[in-house]
Amino acid sequence: MNGARAEPLSQVVAALDTIIIGKPQQVRLCLACLLARGHLLIEDVPGVGKTTLAHGLARVLGLSWQRVQFTSDLLPADIIGVPIFDRATQQFQFRQGPLFTQLLLADEVNRASPRTQSALLEAMEERQVSVERATLKLPEPFFVIATQNPHEQLGTFELPESQLDRFLMRVSLGYPDTQAERRLLAGREPRELLDTLPAVLDAGALLHMQNEVRDVHRAGPLLDYLQQLVAHTRARTDLKLGLSPRAGLGLMRAAPAYAYLDGRHAVLPEDVQAVLPAVATHRLQRRDAVPESGRSIAAELLRAVPVPT
Amino acid sequence: MQPGDDRRARLWLLGAFLGGIMLHLSQLPPWITLGALLCAAWCLAGIVGRVPLPGKRLRGALVAGLTIGVLAAFHTLNGLAAGTALLALMGAMKLLETRTRRDGYIVVAVALCLLLAACLGNQDLPHAPLYLVQAWLCVTALAATAHPQAAAHTRRLASLSARSLLLALPLAMAMFLLFPRLTGGFWSVGASRVSTGLSDSMSPGSISELGESSDPVFRVWFQGPPPPPQERYWRGPVLHEFDGYTWRRTPGLQYPAEQLDYTGAVYHYRVRLEPDTGPWWLALDTIRSTDAAGATITPDRQLVARHPVHDPVTYDAVSYTFTRSTDRLNHLTQLLDTALPPRRNPRSVRLAQQLRAAAPDAHAFVTRVLDLFRHGGFSYTLTPPLLDLNSVDDFLFNTRQGFCGHFASAFVTLMRAGGLPARVVTGYQGGEWNPLGGYLLVRRSDAHAWAEIWLQGQGWVRVDPTAVVAPERLRRGALDVLPDAGSASERLMYEITWLNRLHQGWDAANAWWSTRLVGYDFHAQSRLLQALGLSARSWQQLGALLTAALGLWLLAVTLSFNRLPRARPHRLARAYALLCARLGSAGFARRPDEGPVTYARSLATAPQAFGAAARQLLERYARLRFGADTPTEAELEQFERDVRGLRLARRSSRR
Repeated sequence: MNGARAEPLSQVVAALDTIIIGKPQQVRLCLACLLARGHLLIEDVPGVGKTTLAHGLARVLGLSWQRVQFTSDLLPADIIGVPIFDRATQQFQFRQGPLFTQLLLADEVNRASPRTQSALLEAMEERQVSVERATLKLPEPFFVIATQNPHEQLGTFELPESQLDRFLMRVSLGYPDTQAERRLLAGREPRELLDTLPAVLDAGALLHMQNEVRDVHRAGPLLDYLQQLVAHTRARTDLKLGLSPRAGLGLMRAAPAYAYLDGRHAVLPEDVQAVLPAVATHRLQRRDAVPESGRSIAAELLRAVPVPT
Repeated sequence: MQPGDDRRARLWLLGAFLGGIMLHLSQLPPWITLGALLCAAWCLAGIVGRVPLPGKRLRGALVAGLTIGVLAAFHTLNGLAAGTALLALMGAMKLLETRTRRDGYIVVAVALCLLLAACLGNQDLPHAPLYLVQAWLCVTALAATAHPQAAAHTRRLASLSARSLLLALPLAMAMFLLFPRLTGGFWSVGASRVSTGLSDSMSPGSISELGESSDPVFRVWFQGPPPPPQERYWRGPVLHEFDGYTWRRTPGLQYPAEQLDYTGAVYHYRVRLEPDTGPWWLALDTIRSTDAAGATITPDRQLVARHPVHDPVTYDAVSYTFTRSTDRLNHLTQLLDTALPPRRNPRSVRLAQQLRAAAPDAHAFVTRVLDLFRHGGFSYTLTPPLLDLNSVDDFLFNTRQGFCGHFASAFVTLMRAGGLPARVVTGYQGGEWNPLGGYLLVRRSDAHAWAEIWLQGQGWVRVDPTAVVAPERLRRGALDVLPDAGSASERLMYEITWLNRLHQGWDAANAWWSTRLVGYDFHAQSRLLQALGLSARSWQQLGALLTAALGLWLLAVTLSFNRLPRARPHRLARAYALLCARLGSAGFARRPDEGPVTYARSLATAPQAFGAAARQLLERYARLRFGADTPTEAELEQFERDVRGLRLARRSSRR
């Protein structure tokens, strides 16, 4: 459909596939998330390539980026910035923190104190920060890719539901399969490859694509499907909460981005199905609180709701 | 929940409770009504004006005080009256502590119990709309309590409750038709009214008291045409004893029976007696047999109830208009029915003896006496002058004004004085034919008294001296004959034809209501079930039927709830359904959660012959259905044609 436009994107996907081996679906989801102007949470055990993926994305998309390693003593000022007294002008000057970048990699976000977390998450939602009565706009585009290790419990502050809701998607990478692992071991180390990655896009091209994603057609039956999916989560009694309208909107942003990645200009039910686990999983929890139950809920959800014809 | 919604729900609760109180307004002692209304007013002030509701201690004291008050007034907490009073007061108290949704449910339950109590007390047709309104109020209050956000939209609420009631209608009908009927008088808990019918004594003036009321006494449905007006004698108490002023029958005295031959026209009919008409069940003169279980036919041909019954009664009977007996009258009856009080009415006795002496036989004597009534200057009126203790003398020789009772009394006295066995029969005469309901309506104003004399070789012969004096009385009824009979409104009703028709229609509706609905008893239930081809002889079988009906109802309700409103399928959707069905028949069914592209991918294993074509069709469908451009008519038609034209190769043929 839109072969010409999709061309650079397929190059992006191809480049990322060389550093994150055997995870094309996760790579596409991450890209879709960024195209949908959403923030991304990568959740996984250490060493599966979370940071590499984030680096790779920043590099291939041609964005300026900053990395902050979150620790328990990290303060909001450490990421937003501080006013510093300038002797020459006899005035306070605001020194921007690492937040003022196009792509922020927040490593191990769950290690920071709730205070710092909420400062970051507020900036994510508003895309601006308030310092000393002044409101400073963050650059365009602005993404946060946060990573967290779900199994590390000691000294972490789990993100509450309200803050998890700010992330459009939560993606897990998981271990590579045998073949992919073999290729990984046989090839060069991905970290080294990062430097060789070409910058396929730039900020302007990305903004343009984001605007195009907005125009991807969503047919009536598709909206029906989406509504039924959301309604189904609200009708189920075994879930703590159903999907919020924000989650529904998130689905409605992520699915067109996924279709766009596929080179289509119309959303299909399959697009919704593809993004649903990533978009809905971190927002759904069973009452009996089985950990990591979200993924199976998403599968149940997709099975339970028939595709409109 | 918005506080405003909550307030509205509480207003509905208040309304439902007040509706329940209103139903008992005429029965409850005034202080109880007043107390309940005061509590309701307090509750209203709490809702509208945010006046604080009473605290726990005050409520406890009030409850104790009111319970003692009810105990003092009724001397019991049992029974319908005391129970209703207690329920009304406790419901009112509950209003004062209604805060949570659960409290609201309790108030609705109290209102419903008040409705139930009202139904136990009175089940006639004019009350039915009130009960319906109250039921609707209760359900609305329930809906408002359960969905406070709907309480803000009165129309939504009204439709919600109306829908709930409609949904409950089949259930109510099944319960009504199939619930095992109790044969005892359980439902008449509240009936404690004074019986106002015929009595076992008659003194001058007693029948005219009945004549002042036009309340219905009974209704009769005939198999075939009704008897002509002059044959409509409804036999009640037969009075044998006379003390010169009052006619009586001795309770418990058994008269020997005479052998009767039944001749003349025969009538099969069903009588429905209004409640509280006393022990005499009316039957067309002369009754031969009846199916009435609670009553017996006495030797003097009355139908008498064995036990007092406060419910409406229905029975079938067979009557003949004419009887004869060729036996001799037995000695006891001869003695009793020729007895006259000594030294009373001496002028009448003397007159009768003279007439008897002058007459060659009994027939001539009767004719002479009737001639006396006909030509003696007697007039018929419902407001005669009072008579002294020698009532027959006073009537025959002084006042000469009276109604049926006077004539019957005088006639029987003269007969007895002349040596003929005679007795007074009271009952009703006539009745109004209701063409709408097809029944004869007999009112209290149709009360009548006539005489029976024994003629050797004929048996008991009915003689109605009133008919001689006022023949129209028999043909048209008291209302027509006498300008002063009945109240002004009744006369108005009678004289204006269309008003009369309206009245008859209303009476027919009442009759239908009380016979078919209220009077739906165990026998009616068995008859209906038999007509439906179901025979339920025991309450266990009825219970099984009822359970089956309940199950069906639940199923229907569940299904109707599960059916989501669905739009008519789009044309494209129909074509797609056809495509999926065709592919499914070839062994490639679509899972409901598969979108078109996923489905197309699953066709990878399909034989090349149609797999590619099918995939192409599915992709086209995806584009037409989810694409930005609205499909044109031509595209739709082409798609439909291609779906129909798809050549399928069976999966089995591939293997």
